[in-house]
Amino acid sequence: MTSVPVSAQEQPLVRSKLKSKHSILGLIILLLFLFPLTQLITANNLNYYLHLMLFIFMYIAMASSWNILGGYAGYISLGHNVFFAVGGYFSSYLLLRDGYSPFFTAPIAGFVAMALAFLVGFITLRVRGPAFIISTIALVLVFRIRLDNWERLGGANGLKLPLIDLPVEQIKFPFYYGMLILAIITVYTSYRIRHSKFGLGLRAISQNETKAEASGIPTSFYKIFAFAISGYFVGVAGAMWGYYLTYITPSIFLLILVGAQMVLMCILGGRGTVAGPVIGAIIMIGTNEFFLSEFGSSELNIFGTGAILAAVLLFFPEGIVGSLRKIGRLPAILDWD
Amino acid sequence: MALLEVHGLRKAFGGLQAVNGCTFNVEQGSITALIGPNGAGKTTVLNLISGILKPDKGRIVFDGHHIQRRPPHQITHRGMNRTFQISLNLEDMTVLENMAVLSPVGGMRGLFRPDISKAERERALELLAFVGIAHLAHEVTRNLSYGQKKLLDFASLLMADPKLILLDEPAGGVNPALLEKIIDRVRQLNDQGITFLIVEHNMEMVMSTCNQVVVMAYGTVIAEGTPQSIQNNQTVLEAYLGKVAS
Repeated sequence: MTSVPVSAQEQPLVRSKLKSKHSILGLIILLLFLFPLTQLITANNLNYYLHLMLFIFMYIAMASSWNILGGYAGYISLGHNVFFAVGGYFSSYLLLRDGYSPFFTAPIAGFVAMALAFLVGFITLRVRGPAFIISTIALVLVFRIRLDNWERLGGANGLKLPLIDLPVEQIKFPFYYGMLILAIITVYTSYRIRHSKFGLGLRAISQNETKAEASGIPTSFYKIFAFAISGYFVGVAGAMWGYYLTYITPSIFLLILVGAQMVLMCILGGRGTVAGPVIGAIIMIGTNEFFLSEFGSSELNIFGTGAILAAVLLFFPEGIVGSLRKIGRLPAILDWD
Repeated sequence: MALLEVHGLRKAFGGLQAVNGCTFNVEQGSITALIGPNGAGKTTVLNLISGILKPDKGRIVFDGHHIQRRPPHQITHRGMNRTFQISLNLEDMTVLENMAVLSPVGGMRGLFRPDISKAERERALELLAFVGIAHLAHEVTRNLSYGQKKLLDFASLLMADPKLILLDEPAGGVNPALLEKIIDRVRQLNDQGITFLIVEHNMEMVMSTCNQVVVMAYGTVIAEGTPQSIQNNQTVLEAYLGKVAS
């Protein structure tokens, strides 16, 4: 959203509001960085919370990454978990073969995912709407079959990875910080894109592709580039996630549900907004975890999460951030656009 | 000198030969009208020129470059810009953003600069003022009226500093006062050196504004000349009204 011109006496107020928003966000990030350290001082075991939070960070990164293509450009991909799998397999394979830590190979795994996205996007981004969605589902199925039968990568049984060599109270630290940093970088990238010429072009594409093209936007290039960037962070997340789980199988990554998760989070939070995927990821994983602990791993927890999702979308049809902005009730702290 | 040369253009949709050997020139600095009865292939020709459709045969030379195989965005970068018959706007974006989209990005390096620079904002507001809708700059485009959208369409083209502007039925569904305004702006821009190619049904506008007229029927050009010569052309009258039984 462009800022409305403000009169002279309003300006300092806006600036101080902006400043306080930045300092609050900075404080939250600082607290998130310090949080695990309390485990070293106190005797409390926080590993469960660390697990939950790094899981949220990972999905914040993945949903924000998905949002670059699915939100800004409006191309719904249900196949982003392929990049998740590619990142995971790439880093795990290098770990097993040469002993390289996935924390170092994760950024490279992202580039491998990006290269794949370029290749796939070059072919599938020629079609729009439902045809594109189906092509991304097909991509998942193709990769599932390929990996299920790829003996060098363990086939359907997958690969077993060595446990990271740290005492139990620190074992989640590298993953926690890795995912936190990834989430911050991804959201920041998403924010920068949203406010760039590139982002403007992507949003134009989502509104009317013919108009965008006639306006001088090389739509094919924009779409493929957006697809590649949005594949990158998912690939990085996959590399760390595989190492965290200590084993990888095709069925961890290549379920339609995993890809759909990113989409649902974005829709819940507000597709095409910067803060939407963040809010969506937190609410979705939060409610899921709540119902899981209340009802156990029965169908009831799935029902509960579904009911919340349906209820939210009933009252916030454009996602929480999107709808709140529309009626002008979005708290300044969430206004990152 | 011809800014745009269309030569032997052909385009078929399945069995329908929409454009069948269409040849005409648009002179530098002119306001050229492209007229003809419904179904003559005018809009198809416009889509072929702007690159949205690819011709089966023929060539289009714009400003010394063959553009018949170029994608629309490259043609836009060469300095040709167009409106659509039903104005296409980016409905959920603000008027200002609609303007900024047309502003040249400047290659890979420009991709990550701010979406609306200060200079672009000023230029956009200036152009919006030129068509008289500057007060709507921060409005979401969806909320604009039909006429306002047409004006926005028109103003946004100028962000790209075009040499040639294609207008597809600018007078369609527009009230006389607004039409007067559009004609006036077209004239002003023409005085500044911008060439126009206008597809139009409103003869009043064509005869009063344009200095060249190209008449199409059945996918081909049947007459070309000044408005006066076209008015008295027997072939044109027959194409519009049918042959007089003799």
